[in-house]
Amino acid sequence: MDALQKIAAESNFSTIDWVIVCVYLFGSVLIGLYARRYIANMADYVVAGRALKTYLGLATMIGTEMGLVTVMYNAQKGFTGGFAAFHIAVVAAVITLAVGLTGFIVVPLRRAGVMTIPEFYEKRFTRGVRVLGGLILALSGIINMGMFLKAGALFVMGVTGMTDPTRLNIIMTVLILLVLLYTILGGMISVVITDYIQFVVLSLGLLVASAIALNKFGWDNMVNTVVTHRGEGGFNPFHESGFGTGYVLWMVMLGLVVSAIWQTAVMRACAAESTKVVRRIYMWSSVGFLIRCLIPFFWGICALVYVAGHAEFKAILLPDTGQPDPQHTLMAMPLAMSATLPAGVLGILTAGMLAAFMSTHDSYLLCWSSVLTQDVLAPLLGERLTTRMRLIFARTFIFAIGVFLLLWGLWYPLGQDLWDYLTITGAIYFTGAFAVLVCGIYWKRASTLGAYGALLCGFGALLGLKPLQDLLGVEWATEWVGLSTVAAATVTMVVGSLLVPDRKKEA
Amino acid sequence: MTFWLGLWEAVLIIGVVLFAVLAVVVIIGGAFDIRSLFRSLAAQHRQQDEGESE
Repeated sequence: MDALQKIAAESNFSTIDWVIVCVYLFGSVLIGLYARRYIANMADYVVAGRALKTYLGLATMIGTEMGLVTVMYNAQKGFTGGFAAFHIAVVAAVITLAVGLTGFIVVPLRRAGVMTIPEFYEKRFTRGVRVLGGLILALSGIINMGMFLKAGALFVMGVTGMTDPTRLNIIMTVLILLVLLYTILGGMISVVITDYIQFVVLSLGLLVASAIALNKFGWDNMVNTVVTHRGEGGFNPFHESGFGTGYVLWMVMLGLVVSAIWQTAVMRACAAESTKVVRRIYMWSSVGFLIRCLIPFFWGICALVYVAGHAEFKAILLPDTGQPDPQHTLMAMPLAMSATLPAGVLGILTAGMLAAFMSTHDSYLLCWSSVLTQDVLAPLLGERLTTRMRLIFARTFIFAIGVFLLLWGLWYPLGQDLWDYLTITGAIYFTGAFAVLVCGIYWKRASTLGAYGALLCGFGALLGLKPLQDLLGVEWATEWVGLSTVAAATVTMVVGSLLVPDRKKEA
Repeated sequence: MTFWLGLWEAVLIIGVVLFAVLAVVVIIGGAFDIRSLFRSLAAQHRQQDEGESE
């Protein structure tokens, strides 16, 4: 039995929990399919006819951003970083609130009436920038979600104790097929309805489970365990034994990206009824952005307490020498949850988390397929691409991405914390997009050449991936690779614009 | 370390309380918004159909 199977074998998951999970998931899918009758055109499919009001916009934004994967990687950060990880939540909340108050980036995008960020590139620069931006965005986003399925599988394994890889693969395949079915048929309207249901179950589940965990492990016990295993770095985020100043700066950048530049969040802004609703959604979402990190961090610390008190798990997850395998530390939270929560509560929370897993997938699948259809194919094919063909292409891309996720999840060796993998794969897109969007919106002299250069600079972020670093024989911290790429893209955008301005802007 | 511990404790309490309030408001308001979304989409499609038939 390998270490993963040893960890998973401790689960308390019962038959009643399985029943709750099955009923809940199939119910969600049926409701998602019901929404199909409201699809008449591409705007209904991609941005729900631009008819989202504040509360539903909030539920769907928080629902998308508070998925199983989010809970998994944040719990891993809580496990490895202790209370100091809370700084990520605070930074995310403060920046989302600032975006809501100022309307930074999102209000001009909504005002421009675009459905995707690359569509803005065409309005501001040229069609070529849109196609390149769309390709890079979709590539980055699809690789970024490549680990979602693995995270989901590790969660199911940790919570249910299912150690047979064949059965696990079948369950994950069924889940992805259910998502594909209702996303392909129902588009954004299905997505917002299922996101709402997920918000209801998950928000209540998170609060109840946290209260049970606090009661079981005790606050003082948690503090003492973090002191013992993480030291000063487990509390002070600037301490070099923990995250360090560079990491905190990188999180400030990430806070801005997740709320105002990442396409799945921006899609909600584009789908909002008005710019007033956009601001309101962002201001209130800051609480969601805080809690989506904070509660999983807290669970990660609970998992640390649980593991520290269990000799066998301690040897695997808290070894005396060297670093534990990131795949193992990902499983610490589901393991502690399954050992702590009573039957029924565990089932409801697992159902909520799996629904969240499906909800994140549906939003992301819809997002990347829309980008490929609207921003790569449509500008290239022009009038020849009819509404019916756009829907067919969008659905075909959704299916193709689903197949890729299955293959990538099985093949790619993670080698680093999941959060760090996500930040660096996302950085392929957002480092360039940050420079292009900010300069494109707020600087009249921003030019097409500068935009091309900035977008291409994003590929530098690939150097932050652990398997690539192993291949090159180097060891660079994720945060410094990311920050350097942001700086390079911004400098390229400014210098390129100054050296080669757009002719029509000069006239 | 005491400063950081106090800060994180306060952040956790404030965050959970705010989220509990937000959850109740969004659950109730969201249900009304879903009804309104379906009505709005149906109205848009009716207008579209009428436009096409004219």
